[in-house]
Amino acid sequence: MRNNINFRFVFLALISFFIFNSGFNSLYAQKVKKSKVRLKVQYVKIIDGETYIDIVATSKIKRKNIRVSDIEVAVYYRSLDNEKSIIGKTITNTDGEARFILEDMAFISHDTLGKYNMLVSFKGNESFKKSSKKISFKDANIKVDLITKDSINYIRAKLTGANNNSIDGEAIQVQVQRLFNPLIIGDEFHETDENGTIEVAIDDDIPGIDRNLTIEVVLNDSDEYGTVKAVINAPIGVHVVKETTFDERTMWSSRDKTPIFLLIFPNILIVGIWSIIAFLIFNLYKIFKS
Amino acid sequence: MEKINTLVNDLAPSKFGKRGVIWTISLVVIIVLGVIAYIDQLIKGQIVTNMRDYALWGVYISNFVFFVATSFVGSVIVAVLRLTHKKWRTPLVRIAEIIALAAIVMAGITIMIDMARPDRLLNLFIHARLQSPITWDVIIIPTYIVLSLLLLYFPLLPDLAILKKLNADKNTFLNKMYDILSLKWTGSKTQKVIQEKSIKIIAILIIPVGLILQTIDAWLFSTTYRIGWNSTNMGAYFIAGAFVAGVGALIAVVYIVRRAYKLENYITNLHFDKLGRLLVLACLVYLYFNINEYLIPAFTASKAEEVHLRALFSGHYAPLFWGVTIIGLILPIFFLLFEKGRKPLPMFIISLLVVIGSWWKRYVIVTPTLLHPLLPIQGVPESWHHYFPSMHEWLITSATLAMALLIITVLVRYLPVIPIQRTLDENELSVTDKNIES
Repeated sequence: MRNNINFRFVFLALISFFIFNSGFNSLYAQKVKKSKVRLKVQYVKIIDGETYIDIVATSKIKRKNIRVSDIEVAVYYRSLDNEKSIIGKTITNTDGEARFILEDMAFISHDTLGKYNMLVSFKGNESFKKSSKKISFKDANIKVDLITKDSINYIRAKLTGANNNSIDGEAIQVQVQRLFNPLIIGDEFHETDENGTIEVAIDDDIPGIDRNLTIEVVLNDSDEYGTVKAVINAPIGVHVVKETTFDERTMWSSRDKTPIFLLIFPNILIVGIWSIIAFLIFNLYKIFKS
Repeated sequence: MEKINTLVNDLAPSKFGKRGVIWTISLVVIIVLGVIAYIDQLIKGQIVTNMRDYALWGVYISNFVFFVATSFVGSVIVAVLRLTHKKWRTPLVRIAEIIALAAIVMAGITIMIDMARPDRLLNLFIHARLQSPITWDVIIIPTYIVLSLLLLYFPLLPDLAILKKLNADKNTFLNKMYDILSLKWTGSKTQKVIQEKSIKIIAILIIPVGLILQTIDAWLFSTTYRIGWNSTNMGAYFIAGAFVAGVGALIAVVYIVRRAYKLENYITNLHFDKLGRLLVLACLVYLYFNINEYLIPAFTASKAEEVHLRALFSGHYAPLFWGVTIIGLILPIFFLLFEKGRKPLPMFIISLLVVIGSWWKRYVIVTPTLLHPLLPIQGVPESWHHYFPSMHEWLITSATLAMALLIITVLVRYLPVIPIQRTLDENELSVTDKNIES
């Protein structure tokens, strides 16, 4: 009888513990504070190349901005009847960045003003709240030509809209691709005239491999058109002479390219000293035999 | 005849007393502990050391540099004394040659201990680049070992023959060894001519080889373009330092051997006075190079070099830096300038300070530079910013030092530390089969 009471007591105590504990856990789970994700999006169009949306996800945790990796973001567009349609999804990398390539713009509809309205959205997870960012842009094109006037080379670029209309008053950058950062040509910005054109003189002392310069004409992060970039290959650079000692005999070459003087003098020393040592050892033999 | 017997019996090696046995056993125990630590290092890798990406040379390399420096004494000093026919050298040269041989052998072993994969040692020869100072080092160390051995061996031949005669009635292994190693030395005119000619050749040859060895050792550092090592002065600086370490070690060993074998009649106050003068000269020259090495960079220092110098002068390494400079260099100069300071016991104490100072000096040369690279240390664990040898490193380093002392001890036990034949010749006495009694 006494054993039965004890058993019941233990059973009730265990049940109570689990119920209390699970209830506490659910309360605790509700208390977990999710962080807010901030999405930064940029539309980029490369003429005769890819068109894409660059996405960067960040979050402020413990007063520090950190990049949010491995989250899935969806890209939508709004149709003429204001309906949201999904184009696709992408996942941020370890740097919190993702590039969503817009494979075919033809099936994405724009509004009556020719503006594309898109939405980049993150639906949230156990650590971060849901978040979204709208982006709107119009289509634009840049046509670039290399021209020569009075032995001076110029880049002439024309910025046009979707209907081939000239776009004036936009700030365009002209730059040459370099290893780390592009080299800006002339002023930092060149404003398009009423015909949507700019004309920038190219210095004749810019070095390029095989004389080739890769010149970029960029409408950078425009409110209306996003980023539009045209690239042209111009054979007007100064020929780069490769200064390499790779095939020469130097102190820093591999062993098969040892400098001649280092082959001669140390070997003379080594052979000379060891010949004398051999002579000395022979002298020991002579002492032994005499 | 009695005089010859007394002299031969005085100078012939004799069995160790109780102290000698305890000393030898102590060295063997330290070596065994070091070997165990080294086997563990081979199994686990160099993770057992405190060397990391920045402090990639640690106590092993500073110990190696110390051994190379100490070996200098047997070459240049002995060779110069031989070539200049200084008579007072006789009781000192063999001890110097023994120290040189022990030190250079241990230098070779120490550099292999520093290799994480000693099984790849042969690659240093197979894939050697003559542009690399490491290759030069790999070539010069065996060369110097062979020359040091020959410099010890040629003058030993007559003494080995005397020892053979002395123990003629004993059929022991030792006597057989004396017999084999004496190369049937009879002291004939032909043998003496060949021997003297050979000793002269070695004495001349070992001076440039010794200088090359010390210079290559210095270039191992100065060709790496690092703060504190990037100096055209480095070769001369190392040679001067080697003089100090070598003479210091010689005085310490000479004092102990003199006391242990009761050789006061042969190694006199005059010899200590001469060695004292040599040591004070070496210390003064080294002090001059030290001033060059630190004062000029202090005036012209770039930002990175300034950080390095501050760490030495007033920072983390200041106690060590000033310790080795003042106790290991300036104080010895001060005391050795006085005649009383050049007496045997004060000289012994000073020489110990100089040797200990010389060992730590190599540590000061190697470690702080590696921890002050030209580009700041970034993105590594905090512990990698510092270096102090691990227990494995201390045990192995202690074992190498003990091994050097054991080589000296064994050679002192079985070879005459003072050349018998030369001493007899200087006293115009000659040994024949008849006038020597075992």
